[in-house]
Amino acid sequence: MIECPTCRHQEFVGTFSCSECGTRLVHTAPIGLDDLSEGEAAGDHGLPATRGLDPSAIFGLRVVETGDMVSLVGRDNFTLGRSGGGQAIVPDVDLDAYGAQDQGISRLHAEIRLDEEGVHVVDLDSVNGTLINGKRIEPQQPRRIRHKDIIQLGRLRLQLVSRQRS
Amino acid sequence: MTKELDFYTLLGVPRSASVEEIRRAYREAALRLHPDKNTGPGDTELFLKVNKAYEILSDLDQRADYDKGLVEHEAELSARASFKARVIQSRRKLLQLDEPQVHYLLLDVQPNADLPTIRPPINLALVLDRSTSMRGARLDQLRSAVIKILQSTEHGDSTSIVTFSDRAELVVTPDQARDMSVARARLSLIQASGGTEIGQGLRTGLNELEKYFSREGINHLILFTDGRTYGDEDECIEIAEYCASKGITIHGIGIGNDFSDRLLDDLASRTGGSVAFLDTPQAIVSVMEGIFEALGRTVASRLRLEGAVAPQVDLRSSFRLLPEPMPLGDSLPMNLGNLPRDGVVRVLLEVVIHPIGKMSELTLAHFTIDGDILGKGNNSVALPLQVRIPVSTEPDTDPPPEQITAALSQISLYRMQEKARHEAELGQSGQAARRLENLATQLLANGEKELAKAALSEADRLTHSRRLSSEGEKVLKYGTRALLLPARTGDS
Repeated sequence: MIECPTCRHQEFVGTFSCSECGTRLVHTAPIGLDDLSEGEAAGDHGLPATRGLDPSAIFGLRVVETGDMVSLVGRDNFTLGRSGGGQAIVPDVDLDAYGAQDQGISRLHAEIRLDEEGVHVVDLDSVNGTLINGKRIEPQQPRRIRHKDIIQLGRLRLQLVSRQRS
Repeated sequence: MTKELDFYTLLGVPRSASVEEIRRAYREAALRLHPDKNTGPGDTELFLKVNKAYEILSDLDQRADYDKGLVEHEAELSARASFKARVIQSRRKLLQLDEPQVHYLLLDVQPNADLPTIRPPINLALVLDRSTSMRGARLDQLRSAVIKILQSTEHGDSTSIVTFSDRAELVVTPDQARDMSVARARLSLIQASGGTEIGQGLRTGLNELEKYFSREGINHLILFTDGRTYGDEDECIEIAEYCASKGITIHGIGIGNDFSDRLLDDLASRTGGSVAFLDTPQAIVSVMEGIFEALGRTVASRLRLEGAVAPQVDLRSSFRLLPEPMPLGDSLPMNLGNLPRDGVVRVLLEVVIHPIGKMSELTLAHFTIDGDILGKGNNSVALPLQVRIPVSTEPDTDPPPEQITAALSQISLYRMQEKARHEAELGQSGQAARRLENLATQLLANGEKELAKAALSEADRLTHSRRLSSEGEKVLKYGTRALLLPARTGDS
């Protein structure tokens, strides 16, 4: 990622101008992805190693802004959303701790699914939509994602981490 | 008219697709096209072709032979293609990176020198709003504009004039249009009253276009409206999709603060047309004359970008810069509209490249450019176009090419305006206001004082009333879009 010198908004390497404030970003050097730079992706299909019950695998979502890791273990699908107060349906991954409401995340916003073909994300008709690497995806249509892809729910950005522990 | 597509394009997979990807694409296509299920005419034929493609591509030896033949065939095609194309990229090399990166391609398409230089016959339907709000100067100017167009038609043209309010009526038939006194008399009967049902107007206009449809000429619909249609948007879009498949372009002209700009944009974008926004009736005549004159300079209609991008690449957005600025879709095939005889169609594509491992070169896309050449017995030869870029561990330190810099800095302004409007609609008025202030700063830096003022006044409105004005929305949208016009980017 590169960071806008004016407003500190993060964009992909190669982005011409900041989508927040319009500042030209050409030649901004990439910022380090700290703990993500070492380690090998788990196979070229990005297949999560959790399925093989490999204890050395890491599979989860990294909150881009804070760097926190949310591990995804023990299931084949995970709903992402916010719990809010006193509702019946609770998402598997509750993003309340990251200001879910202010970031425009729906209660049941999206779902991560694992199968033989890889990792897919499905937008569950959320109000503010889901973006994969900056591109909006159609609701209810599974989209394949790979290691290090950025999943944006509302305004909250999460990065898929799917690799072997080094 | 249908051309033989290569097997990869037929299946919608890149040339480098793995056997697994080919199998998946085949399965999808076969399910959709299977004779037990398909509905469209020609689907069964397509099903057989898809089967053939899969048979060849799933066999390593046969695929290698096919690939070799394809490369030779394409080299031969490029040599005699009807079009010339040039791609400029924002960077000379990509960075070997384990995170996504953004890249931009500027595509210029021009006609080959040996294409006909005749003025094509024009089959035109003018679909005009006659709702109550059109009364007065708008309708008067519109009548003058129509008369100007009728006066500049040539032998072989067909012009139909349709008006609509809650229903649509054919006011002037092509036969009547050939006699100016009859046409004038018919036009003077138009009365402004009633609501706005765009779908009715489009359907009647399309009926007329189909009666006089010709592959040798231009088939075009101009939709003029000052209002908002209710409940028939889906029907309008269906008609636009149909027009796109037939090669009929739709040009939208909106006047005033209340027209449905998004619907007009959608209709135009699907068909490769464009949209003009007028804030005063005085502009109607010159804008309509300009559109008609440009139609006469068309050498190929239904210019389209086909093919596929590499599996590591996602097409994120595209924007046509020339001849008329217009945001296009983010999927292939893409309808680029009409190709002018003496000009160029220029499109900027924004792609996201997924993490790429160790490789020295990436083939970003295999495109095919094709269009319907106008004039008698002209069959087009499609142009195959491969876009490649070196991949390196060292970042490219050269500045991006001038044309890309110019286009991108203007597009980023357009995008900010779009984002602010989206935020305002979601109720995030504070954020939208901040963005418009940023936009105003950028506009001022570009010397666009009037637009900057408009952006600031909308930011102010957001802070106080939490909403944008419908006038401001349109001024900012079409204002920033117009910045992309050739005169502004200093490049004709």
